[in-house]
Amino acid sequence: MKKKVCGVLAGLGLTAAALGVVQQAWATLGGPADSVITDRKALSAVRGGTTVQPGYTVQEIITDATNVREYVSPAGIVFAIAWNGMMHPDLTTLLGSYVAEYQQALQNTPRQMGMRRSEVRGNNVVVEKWGHMRNLQGRAYVPVLVPPGVNLDEIK
Amino acid sequence: MKSNKIAVVLFLMLMVLAGCGGSGGGSGSPGLSVEGPPVAGNNVLTISVNGSLCSDNPTYPNEPCVSVTICAPGTTNCQTINDILLDTASYGLRIFNQAIMVPLTQVTSGSGLLAECVNYGDGSSTWGPVQMASVILGNEPAVQIPIQVVNQNFGSPSTLCTSKNSTPDTSPFEAKRNGILGVGLFVQDTGQYFSCSGSASGSPCTSATAANANVSNPVAALPVDNNGVIVQLPSVPAGGAGSASGSLIIGIGTQTNNTVPSGVTAYGADQRAEILTTFNGIQYAGFIDTGSNGFFFPNPSATQFPACTENLGWYCPPTVMNLSATNTGASGSPSGIVSFLIGNADSLFSTSNQVFGEVGGSAVNSFDWGLPFFFGRSVYIGINGTSSSLGTGPYWAY
Repeated sequence: MKKKVCGVLAGLGLTAAALGVVQQAWATLGGPADSVITDRKALSAVRGGTTVQPGYTVQEIITDATNVREYVSPAGIVFAIAWNGMMHPDLTTLLGSYVAEYQQALQNTPRQMGMRRSEVRGNNVVVEKWGHMRNLQGRAYVPVLVPPGVNLDEIK
Repeated sequence: MKSNKIAVVLFLMLMVLAGCGGSGGGSGSPGLSVEGPPVAGNNVLTISVNGSLCSDNPTYPNEPCVSVTICAPGTTNCQTINDILLDTASYGLRIFNQAIMVPLTQVTSGSGLLAECVNYGDGSSTWGPVQMASVILGNEPAVQIPIQVVNQNFGSPSTLCTSKNSTPDTSPFEAKRNGILGVGLFVQDTGQYFSCSGSASGSPCTSATAANANVSNPVAALPVDNNGVIVQLPSVPAGGAGSASGSLIIGIGTQTNNTVPSGVTAYGADQRAEILTTFNGIQYAGFIDTGSNGFFFPNPSATQFPACTENLGWYCPPTVMNLSATNTGASGSPSGIVSFLIGNADSLFSTSNQVFGEVGGSAVNSFDWGLPFFFGRSVYIGINGTSSSLGTGPYWAY
């Protein structure tokens, strides 16, 4: 009996580990930057260039549909992400622990017909989308995590 | 005499009051309608800006509507559908399933049914099956092409087309239109395709390729007038109009009604469907889009362009501002200056008018020449890989 429970627990653990690997193929917003290294292949993603800027580092991740740029603070935390491509990326993965807050705020954000942009503001996270077919763009950031001296215009 | 004058003034004041209360919507008495010159030919669709081709739904300012006829493929079993948004920033015809009465033919994908998820700049999305239809634009010959039938209850929508990631189009009432006619610079759309095991809600869908069934720009499928379109809309007076009408002319230099006059300059676009626009000394990616309802550009300073208090995202300068920006072809030439006006959106939208030439709002890192750009102009939209006297697409010319 005990063995069985242990087996089930081990199975759950493996599942969680597998999920964790997929989740961390993208470093998530608010999460540590080193989570980006693991299994990108699961999402058909490849690592693009790394750019060092005063006050932060940008790590690019490339998939078929979208290029995602992750903005990493000197403390090693992803404080913002930005993207462009044929589709918007799956934010349920990229937003990490801010997903529920984003989805709640999205429900409460009235649609503005005729505009090619939207801004969804939660208590802690801001998600903006804009663009048009062939170049959909966006960014998400956590204002309190943005390092001092970094201008939001740089996140694009 | 004096009392008569007062009575007239009072009457006029009442008239003005009667016109208040609509926030760019359908309430209030209809304002002036401005109409462009009629254009004869089999290749012409009427563009109705907040006019008779738009639905009775509460609408929004500067909405350009056309009507499109769809038929069961290869038959004369047809219906004409109004309130289709004319969109020069997407490619392909998409119509809500609730608006479709004729039987269309489902495109298969392996052993399943082909469906598509499309994302838009405003964070909205359209999900639904890809079906073959005979599509008739104006009095052009019917073309059999795949269209997207927008239906959130078809199979299992991709996560990018659910409320987890976007604002899905669910009904004509909610979207304030029956569909979208995408006649922009390219032929094929760029959505993600899926194969669904069934049409019933909840049937599983897995990633697939469109094979040769991409939802695509109907103009490119025409036998003759297939190299682009011309959008012609009249000038709109200061303060706006109740509605406006103009013409979507299909083909560029293919018939007597779409020849290119001298003085038209073509601006070549890149593979992202963008040119360069320089405003306030900063260069942005620019695009020209009937589906955007204002001029949208980054705010150089909050004091120059104060944000509106009632209409989020719009600019509300105290007086109308006379501005200009420079468009440049994606390759670096040619360049030309465009003048435009920005007025106070809160006060304009609070009148009974619905069509405005001098409205704009904020954007991030891009310059969006929306519908007001088209007022008083003929804009030529050259499809990728086709040619005309203006050059080889993709290009915008005006």
